[in-house]
Amino acid sequence: MLVLLTKRLARSLLRTKLRLVAVSAMVMVAVFAGISFAAYAHTVSGMYEEIYEDTDKGVNLPDVWVENPSGIWDADTSNSLCEEISVEWPDSTLVLNDCEPRLRLDGTMFLHEMHDGIESEKIVPAVWHGIDEGRIDRVWIPNHDCCSGRLASTDSEIVIDQRVASGMRVGLGDNISIGAGSGRMSFTVVGIGFQSNHLYFGQEGSLFPAEPGTFATGYLSSSGLERLANLTPGSSNIILIDVLGDPDYDIPSTDENEGTELTSLVSSIDETISNIEENPTLVYDRSQVFSVEILRADAEGAMMFYVPITGMIAAIAGITIFLSLQRLVQSQSREIAILRTLGIPRYAIMPAYFLMPLAIGVIGGSLGVILAVTLGVPGMLDFYEEILGIPILEATDIFPLAIQIISVTILVVMASGVFPAIQASRLQPLEIMRGQHEIRISSRRIQALTSRLPATVGLTVRSSIRKPTRLVFTFLAVGLSMLLFGSTLLMMSTMEEITVGSIEENQNWDVQANVPLGGEGEVIEWVDEKGAEYEKLLIFPANPVNDSRVISAYGVEEISTGSDSMIVIDLRTGSIPESGKQTSEVLIDEGLSHFLGWGVGDTRTLVFGSELKSVEIVGITQGELSRTVYFHRSDLADVIGIEATSVLIDLPDGVETDSKLGEISVGLTEKDDLISSYESIIEQQQSFLGAILFLGIIIAIVVLFNTLLMNLSERDKEIATLRVLGAPIKRLGWMMFGEHLVIGLIGGILAFLFTLAGTQAMISSIVQWSFFMTVTVDPIVAAQLIGVVVVTSVALTPYGMWRISRMDLVEKVKDLSQ
Amino acid sequence: MENILKMRNIRRHYVMPSGTVKALDGIDLEVREGERIILLGPSGSGKTTLLNCLSALDSPTSGSYSFSGSLVPSNDSEKMTKFRRENIGYVFQFFNLLQDLTVLENLLLIQELSGSRDEERARELLGLVGLANEIHRFPAEISGGQQQRVAIARSLAKTPRLLLGDELTGNLDSKTSTAVMEVLVKACEAEGITCVFVTHDESLVEFATRVIRIDSGKILSDENVE
Repeated sequence: MLVLLTKRLARSLLRTKLRLVAVSAMVMVAVFAGISFAAYAHTVSGMYEEIYEDTDKGVNLPDVWVENPSGIWDADTSNSLCEEISVEWPDSTLVLNDCEPRLRLDGTMFLHEMHDGIESEKIVPAVWHGIDEGRIDRVWIPNHDCCSGRLASTDSEIVIDQRVASGMRVGLGDNISIGAGSGRMSFTVVGIGFQSNHLYFGQEGSLFPAEPGTFATGYLSSSGLERLANLTPGSSNIILIDVLGDPDYDIPSTDENEGTELTSLVSSIDETISNIEENPTLVYDRSQVFSVEILRADAEGAMMFYVPITGMIAAIAGITIFLSLQRLVQSQSREIAILRTLGIPRYAIMPAYFLMPLAIGVIGGSLGVILAVTLGVPGMLDFYEEILGIPILEATDIFPLAIQIISVTILVVMASGVFPAIQASRLQPLEIMRGQHEIRISSRRIQALTSRLPATVGLTVRSSIRKPTRLVFTFLAVGLSMLLFGSTLLMMSTMEEITVGSIEENQNWDVQANVPLGGEGEVIEWVDEKGAEYEKLLIFPANPVNDSRVISAYGVEEISTGSDSMIVIDLRTGSIPESGKQTSEVLIDEGLSHFLGWGVGDTRTLVFGSELKSVEIVGITQGELSRTVYFHRSDLADVIGIEATSVLIDLPDGVETDSKLGEISVGLTEKDDLISSYESIIEQQQSFLGAILFLGIIIAIVVLFNTLLMNLSERDKEIATLRVLGAPIKRLGWMMFGEHLVIGLIGGILAFLFTLAGTQAMISSIVQWSFFMTVTVDPIVAAQLIGVVVVTSVALTPYGMWRISRMDLVEKVKDLSQ
Repeated sequence: MENILKMRNIRRHYVMPSGTVKALDGIDLEVREGERIILLGPSGSGKTTLLNCLSALDSPTSGSYSFSGSLVPSNDSEKMTKFRRENIGYVFQFFNLLQDLTVLENLLLIQELSGSRDEERARELLGLVGLANEIHRFPAEISGGQQQRVAIARSLAKTPRLLLGDELTGNLDSKTSTAVMEVLVKACEAEGITCVFVTHDESLVEFATRVIRIDSGKILSDENVE
């Protein structure tokens, strides 16, 4: 009997092949996306830990960094710092394994380019590291096609980053010309590899990886970098400290502190350094290293979202199946009533409604697994390699992930059969035979609200909300599909606004020339020679008191919200600070306000190395990714004793940067390069995101069409009555258009609100100290999201009219009169 | 009285896999204004097909059908709809009122779809069928007999010249059937509307001015009963 009943239901469902194909495809997409994301998340997070590992294969990522942002320590100081750290090591379970002074300098790479047969020189901002064999934080040259060669062993050799080699077409044996503020020198490339500070290859604080040819990093021998920067042997500006084993650290995305031991060690080292070092220093753990943190956050995000993403797509499929089964129960109610009258027990009716979703889940899930294994996972990992340029040495084992994903999906999909099964089993044969189950009283409140409208409009409104449960579930499913995919659109527009938009609108300079300590004079001379305009800029790291998290203190020449200054501040609340106050007036970014709870009117203390500085917050800015405090440059210079770290230059028409500027600066950033770099990466991701968006729209269309088609078919009797009574197709078409427009508008607005809330929640879960943002609601994106749902809904009107025009009224009248 | 419609040698044949079914096989019919005709006949006799042809829901296979001296359109859905809109009222066995609209709104909807909303007339018609106090109720809130009276008022709302009914009391008990037919006769007389009803129920003959018996697609008898 069970087989016969299941066969009967299967045949009924098979009559709606398109719907069956659509829901199976949704299940397939859920499994496909879930496995692809899961494989990506597990592969990369495992891979990072292997790279950082304290083994022969790994690079031995430091546990604590001590950084001197305002100067260089000579050999004696470097060694004495390590010795002092060892002597003053606190009573802790963490044991000092190693302490190694390092030199890391900003600089430039002079890249020769050929354009239309003319050779030109491009000045690329760069970071150079002096790394000998290295016990801590070694250069990583994996056994992979991407990389080759050896470490730099003489003072004329360099290992370049793999992204530099591929992006600038530099190979082993090539000579490259580089500088670090003291002229330029040529180095021979002896290796191609990676370094933990630049595994995520982008400029500090950038949410997007650098476009090929716009950023360079290289790993020289210590003596090589000292020669390049004209420094004495043994100079350093960073101390790397390695603790035995892998200590836990405070993960920024969680509320609790997982690494209390390490946090207290950082504080202790900070105190030790402050006692012996006059220059401001920074002491931090891996959570404050941008590359390490952004990659961890990316992997954590993928890990966190793949189950909900799978669940949500499966839920959309489940809702569609649920609505279809519910409709089936309704249309088969007489048949079920007859079976029940003939003595078929309730429980015999139910299994078929569970088995059908199970069959859909198994078929769709199996197809999803095949697609994920053959296309999704390799495609996802290839895309990752293409965007980030990090080679994947070993992909994770997909089998357990596939089992996990398919189980979640089938469970969600099977749940869709529960309510229809109960509904079918509870049908009362007598009520059905009398037709009482179809009788219902319309809502008095809705009637009252629409009673003053023409009857056609009233009917349109009331028909739209005739089946509230179905409509609510449809909106939920449309909302979910738009949440998944609309949030992609909203995130992209937010990021575009933060990156491209913010640079285009708020940065009124052409070139930012970073200068060595006291080196701004030479750059200003160059500026004067070229008849350009400039503003000095001072950027210096600071911390809140008793907090090792880094804040960028910006000393801006002229703090302004108008376009008359080179850096335009986007002031959210408060006022512009005045300079020269006893307690310096500052602006803080909204992220700082979010994380520390600081507000306008507060007086707070910032720590610059060992120097404490009280500041009064007079305003809060928005749009900054990293934590920022804006000072008047003169106020900040008084605190740290440095006049400028860079010079912002506004070039006159026809004037370009040249080699001389490259040689006297430690890195040139051209605004146009920055914009094109962001635009390029956004464009690169566009096809991938476009595919996701397309998929979302297709799913939303399927869900909406499914419901509207059911609505249409349920209204056959009503429409036939009106047609027999002489209603013209055109008028009925307008009514249908109105109904679809109402449903589309409500659905679209709800979908947008879903998307907004979802994106906000998604952003809230990934933002942290190093990168903070809020959703920017672009009206165009809002219109696009609502428009998609409205157009989808309205697009069904011609089909509905076609259906009416094909209606066999003679047959319908038979139904109406029998 | 003038003829309102004239049918000459109307045939409606259906080609089925088992052979051709002659639902109507040479019907000649003239109806005068104000008549109340009852079509009687067994199942499959062709009475509903005749009603469908009269209402221009269906097109005859051959023969001519004129209404008020003009040929009735056939095989053109929109022209046939227009003909129905301008001339025909229709009452179904199962009322088929729109459940989302109140009694009054059911009438107003038909008027709006026909291009002329006239609430006063709608209220007047509901008064005529004895439902003046029920106009703001939903169909599910009134009895079957009352619903059929709403359906009658709805069919009259756009002032048709010919009112057709297919087993319009088939879903009602005999007492309610009588009440509904009395209302219908009263309304049609008041509005001067010609009526043709299909039924199995011989007792309804008392409400007719003419009775036509039909079988196998042919008219067996046609007699005036007043």
